[in-house]
Amino acid sequence: MLLLLDILTTAAILFVVSVGLLAIFGVLKIINFAHGAWLTIGAYCAVVAVKMGLNPWAGLPIAFVVGALLGGIAELLIIRPLYRRPLDAILATWGLGIVIGQLITLEFGRDVQLIPNLMSGTIRVLSVDYSVYRLFVLLAALVIGALFALTIEGTRLGLAARAVIMNETLARSLGIDTDRVRLVIFMIGAGLAALAGVLLTPLTSVDPNMGVAWLIGAFMLVMVADTSYLALAAACIVFGGVQVLVSTFVSPVLGGISIAVLAALVLRINSRGFSRA
Amino acid sequence: MPEDAALLDDRPGWGIASEWRAPAAAAAGAALIVWIAPLVLGAFAANVLTRSMLYATLAVTVDLLWGFTGILTFGQAAFFGVGAYATAMTMTSIGSTPAWMAAALALAIVVPMVLGLVVGWLSFYPGSTPLYASVISLVFPIVVTQLVYSGGLLTGSSSGLVGYDTLPLELEGFFRLSGIVMIAVTLAAWVFVRSDAGKLLVAVRDNDVRCAYLGISTKRIQIILMVALAGVAGFTGFIFAHASGVVAPENTGFLFGTQLVIWVALGGRGSLIGSVCAAVAIDYLSASLSGDLPFLWQLVLGAAFVIIIIFLPDGIAGLARTASLAISGSLRQTRVSRVTVAVPRTAADRRATLLKVSGLARSFGSLSVLENINLEIRPGELVSIVGPNGAGKTTLIRCLSDGSEPFKGVVEIAGQSIRGLTPDSVVALGVGRKFQVASIFESLTVAECLRLARTTSETPSGIGSAPILSLPVASVEILRLTGLIDLTGSPAGLLSHGMKQALELAMVLALEPRLILLDEPTAGLTNTERATIGAVLRHLTEEAGYAIILVEHDLDFVREISSRIVVLHQGRLVLDGAVDDVVNSEMVRTIYSGGGHV
Repeated sequence: MLLLLDILTTAAILFVVSVGLLAIFGVLKIINFAHGAWLTIGAYCAVVAVKMGLNPWAGLPIAFVVGALLGGIAELLIIRPLYRRPLDAILATWGLGIVIGQLITLEFGRDVQLIPNLMSGTIRVLSVDYSVYRLFVLLAALVIGALFALTIEGTRLGLAARAVIMNETLARSLGIDTDRVRLVIFMIGAGLAALAGVLLTPLTSVDPNMGVAWLIGAFMLVMVADTSYLALAAACIVFGGVQVLVSTFVSPVLGGISIAVLAALVLRINSRGFSRA
Repeated sequence: MPEDAALLDDRPGWGIASEWRAPAAAAAGAALIVWIAPLVLGAFAANVLTRSMLYATLAVTVDLLWGFTGILTFGQAAFFGVGAYATAMTMTSIGSTPAWMAAALALAIVVPMVLGLVVGWLSFYPGSTPLYASVISLVFPIVVTQLVYSGGLLTGSSSGLVGYDTLPLELEGFFRLSGIVMIAVTLAAWVFVRSDAGKLLVAVRDNDVRCAYLGISTKRIQIILMVALAGVAGFTGFIFAHASGVVAPENTGFLFGTQLVIWVALGGRGSLIGSVCAAVAIDYLSASLSGDLPFLWQLVLGAAFVIIIIFLPDGIAGLARTASLAISGSLRQTRVSRVTVAVPRTAADRRATLLKVSGLARSFGSLSVLENINLEIRPGELVSIVGPNGAGKTTLIRCLSDGSEPFKGVVEIAGQSIRGLTPDSVVALGVGRKFQVASIFESLTVAECLRLARTTSETPSGIGSAPILSLPVASVEILRLTGLIDLTGSPAGLLSHGMKQALELAMVLALEPRLILLDEPTAGLTNTERATIGAVLRHLTEEAGYAIILVEHDLDFVREISSRIVVLHQGRLVLDGAVDDVVNSEMVRTIYSGGGHV
């Protein structure tokens, strides 16, 4: 039971962390290597919110808005000139991540920031006591996933985004303002990343480089998921499950690299990853 | 064929010796500086620069992979780290007698090379993407770092290994050794990328599809390069382990890998010297400034990196090149090889069937593009495939030249089924394919493009450029007829549309294929050029015994040169017969006037 809860909540955390990256990769076909920096931005939004005397929960909306606004600026200045050079876009966003990390360090210092937990305590699930917060993240992942699905399947923006994913040239010739779709999607993706950053604060230490640790896992999951959020959810459950099992029964170190190694192997065997299933 | 074709260009070919003079002098000068420098520098500077020069050596390997071959890699850091750890672990756990020292050196080179083979096999396979190779290069250092962390006493875990015996060289000696290694590796790389074999790297980056259809296995080149450079990185790691006396998990990590890429980007990818200078300068400055302005320095570096990537993709070296070009106002002088006629391969057996297609079908999902195609072609035939747009002509050509296409039925070249064969292996059976849109190597010269087309028949030199370019008569004829023969030194990317088409045709003919697949070879050419190319094609089939399959829209052109015409309509082969029968048939008129579904 404990194992099952661990797997589900780990998958939920992975999903929350990588869904913003997926949105950007799906529509823009660009890997946002500054994704880790946006997680950090989100976490520091929570830090600032607490310092200003706000309720820690206020960090969530603040982080989404700040993340989306900064994302918009980054899209206009850095991503837009590099649409035709996807490998260079990886590097430029990585550089942007360094810049953001150093700016945060200059402002807040290199030390770990302490902020009050959003939720604490445990709850009895069937036979085991389990962290309330991890269960909350599971709920949050379901809500974010559902909202994401509604946006993609049910709105004009989602329709336009799907059109861009399938055939960008055709979408443009049909009168869809693809530049704007990309901008909006990048802002949403960045906002989701910052939101995930806030959700991570009770689970990990908050410091200027916290995002990098999550970046690679998220990146690998998105590579496997290609452009489908359902495939992402599947990948999170399968790889998150393997990670938990390997960490529990073999060694935590091997568990830490299991996502990256498995994802690389899956891609080697089938370059479309989970998205075909 | 005129006899004087043999000496079309009497500009002298430049020998290897003169080519080497300038870089050899520069390297000797640099070596002298490296020899004297430790006498002048303080201990701190000498220490840091020893490390910087080893990092610069790694930057050269990253530049070769990324700048020249287009493989964005973060993995060189891990090969370096494995080399360093192999050395330190041997010294710590086994012993430091001269014999074990030599064993450590061997391990530091061989283990990274074996890992390079594994990484290469994972990264490069038919249909792999550049992004995927980068993904693997990202995963690899992460795995290595985690293994180091979990290695316990063997690897020293997070505190690394320290206090093992090192080579008995003082600071001075290590400085000189590192400097000499850096200079030697840079010089070797400089010579290699300018050699005929070195052009293969740029060719792979520019156009891997064209490489495959010249019979060159891009996968093999990429893996060989990766293995070789993993060995170089491991060797650098060996020296690093001795020079620094300490190895740490950071030396293997992905962050170090990104640093290498940043240095190369700032210095200028594809410049070698720029990468070396940037690596030395930035690593030295980082060490010097990290005391005073640690975060600000990283901030400036990160910002500079972003700006360079967006606005100056060729880095500082690219800027310098543009500036010097603006001042001197001329392009660097390009070496021009003399073109001669190659000795032709033995003539083909005219009686045997060259191509046999039976029951060929190809569908994309539920859409059936080709159905039950049966076709036989013998040497000496020029078979034209005609049919309206969407009839499946290009798909048919693809199925004949790429056995990895998931088609049904049998395609045999000279009796051998091509099923499962990648394009480079099909080319080896004697098939040449020209694409509808000219597919050449944009950043190479005309002569270099043509030489690449000869890679499979003449192994290119790894140290110099051969002064003579020998091509089959048919290629030379195309070059003469189109005037390309006078442009052998020009960059292929600057040619006109028609000239690019002609160049590609000459490249395909340079393969001396028995069966030539031509997808609209005369599109975009003038009527005169078209007529001359038609004459060359006729000559190739009638006199030289080649077989040609031609996809063409222009019925007049087809009628003039074909020996047989095949009509493809809605994925089916509806007519196969002599020229006049087909051209005058009712069916062709109906199809071409936009009517009938047969």
